Amino acid sequence: MSSRDQILNRLRRTLKRYDLRFPPENPTPLTPETRMAVTHAEGDRWALAERFGQELEKLHGSYSILETVAEARMAVIAQLLTWLQEDQEQRRTKVAIHELDWDLLLWEPETLPIPGLAPALKDLDFRLVLPQDLQDPKERERIYPVRVGITGVDAAFASTGTILVAAGPGKSRAASLTPLRHIALIPLSRLYPTVESWLAEQRKQGSLADFLRESANVVLISGPSKSADIEMNLTLGVHGPQQIHAVLFDDLEALIKAG
Amino acid sequence: MSVDVHAPFKKRVEQALSDPALGSAVERATRRMVAARAAAMAAVDGERLRNQTRQMKEYVLRHLPELLEELERNVKANGGHVHWAQDGEEANRIVREIALQASVKKVVKSKSMTTEEIHLNQALEATDIQVVETDLGEYIIQLAGELPSHIVAPVAHKRIEDISELFHEKLDIPSTLDPAALCAAARAALRREFFSADMGISGCNFAIAETGTVCIVTNEGNGRMVTSLPRVHVAVMGIEKLVPTVEDAILQLQALTRSATGQALSVYVSMTSGPRREDHPDGPDQFHLIILDNGRTKMLEEDYGEAMLCLRCGACLNICPVYRTVGGHAYGSTYSGPIGAVISPLLAPDKAQFKELPHASTLCSACRDVCPVKIDLPRLLLDLRADLVVEGAAPLPEKLAIRAFIKAASSRESFERAGKLASAASNALASLSGGNIHFLPPPLNAWTQSRDFPPFARTSFREWWQERMALRQRD
Repeated sequence: MSSRDQILNRLRRTLKRYDLRFPPENPTPLTPETRMAVTHAEGDRWALAERFGQELEKLHGSYSILETVAEARMAVIAQLLTWLQEDQEQRRTKVAIHELDWDLLLWEPETLPIPGLAPALKDLDFRLVLPQDLQDPKERERIYPVRVGITGVDAAFASTGTILVAAGPGKSRAASLTPLRHIALIPLSRLYPTVESWLAEQRKQGSLADFLRESANVVLISGPSKSADIEMNLTLGVHGPQQIHAVLFDDLEALIKAG
Repeated sequence: MSVDVHAPFKKRVEQALSDPALGSAVERATRRMVAARAAAMAAVDGERLRNQTRQMKEYVLRHLPELLEELERNVKANGGHVHWAQDGEEANRIVREIALQASVKKVVKSKSMTTEEIHLNQALEATDIQVVETDLGEYIIQLAGELPSHIVAPVAHKRIEDISELFHEKLDIPSTLDPAALCAAARAALRREFFSADMGISGCNFAIAETGTVCIVTNEGNGRMVTSLPRVHVAVMGIEKLVPTVEDAILQLQALTRSATGQALSVYVSMTSGPRREDHPDGPDQFHLIILDNGRTKMLEEDYGEAMLCLRCGACLNICPVYRTVGGHAYGSTYSGPIGAVISPLLAPDKAQFKELPHASTLCSACRDVCPVKIDLPRLLLDLRADLVVEGAAPLPEKLAIRAFIKAASSRESFERAGKLASAASNALASLSGGNIHFLPPPLNAWTQSRDFPPFARTSFREWWQERMALRQRD
């Protein structure tokens, strides 16, 4: 008999016993009606955006809220240039920096919610490392020194300042993971009050299980990477990004135009 | 390291107690986490969260076989492989085989107590595979050649001076007490490892049966690195680490993170459902799930199934006065603290291997009050103490004392005689020191080390009653 069968048989045999004090005989599973939502958030999409930003700030992230897609595009560029300047100042003071290139690790531009971003970045002489560049395992070395990653999100949750990113065609896992800094583009149409509210919507549409499975990898990200292992002191950027900047913007107009 | 994990229990405790640096490090770590947990649970309906998580896990345990089969079906449908291991040896053999077939030379690991339990690292290193721990705390432990001392904060026992010295020696960086600099050094060193590793091994905080998903929770990002960068991913899970649906997973996740470190969510919650799909730009090509028994079915059989609800959050460690005084190494087991005192004897082939642990408790019940799934740890500890006696593992002096008591209490006459003897002896001793007894002979001197022992009454209740009745009859 295989180990599988031995383990399962043993479990079944034990669970059949009447003298077992644990587990209870007929426990009730949680249902959508009974299961609690742990956190809460209220208000219109602007209130939720503000709440998201505040929660993210508590986690040592930063954010900007913009009213249009065009403004959002400019905000991304502004953030990149700010970081560029900060780094140059650091170099002047001869602080050792490990990843020196100004390549940008991006999701496939078609998957990004801000059209025209990629060409705008190219115009400013940023070099874009795109997912197709990662196909060759030797080429993967290219992502090693990249300092900034830019991705969209599949959803964002206001009550905890959390973003949800799923892997997929054109959506590399590395872009939100390996660079020192991460810019997350969050259209307000994808901002939900809580993770539970998003789950409920997906479940209702019948797409929750498939979404998880087809993505192969779904990650909830709440702020920059951190550790308190060293004497309970907080340090950021242990393996994942040290800084995460969320750009929240209203895409309602864009959606109406597209729709 | 001040505590020798191979020394006998008493010695380990003595070593821990005589190291003030260890004490202050453990105190600092646990105090923080206790306060954080309390705040995080107070910020939400913490009681309801505990009740619902418990309810869900009870359901899981009752339906464990079916849920495990559902998990297996779905992992396979996702393109992953499922392996079953009855014990650690079998699990290690399976991992080595996977590594062999995939020509693996280097493994990166994210923190997993289950892999510590089965000593996976040693098994891989024996076949010349390099294993790199990537959780910052575990990495430090590995550099130092030690064992972790806490489920969630493996380096709780180390001060920054220790870590600075270690990095200076092993990573060749200048000595510094700046945590950011130490962290940057570790990040750079480990970055190279992540990119050159062939296989990533992780544990599994919980698996979702309905989608065949393995969830890994980290704050550093190494969990994501380990499960996304190398071409092979192996996840090891205990049979009980299961939830039925995605919504249950999110509920358990929040109970776990709030109880462990007081966070609403950990920074990264990585949910992996098989290897990457054909048209994805990155991710592992192979995914293997190893479902491990290693004493868990035995635990259920012996009716300690409640301990299988454990989420491995560490909240009971943080609040336990015993753990806070001696730290984790004194327990001499992979799992320490109250839950460790329960499952270490149960998972071992012979409970007596850890016979002191159920007694390393004052039964204060603080652990039960913070457990997110409300495991009645004090009850389980008491039951274990009873089981150890039944299995003959009680210490010899205790056995002799009980035998003597049985003899004395088996008839009225012998009980009276014993009582008279105790009264005479204790009053004689007491008169030597003017009232109370300051020194009892060994082994009872442990009692009088910190308190006096009162003498027995000069007359027994029976004698007093008979005198009174005689007096009454006269009147």
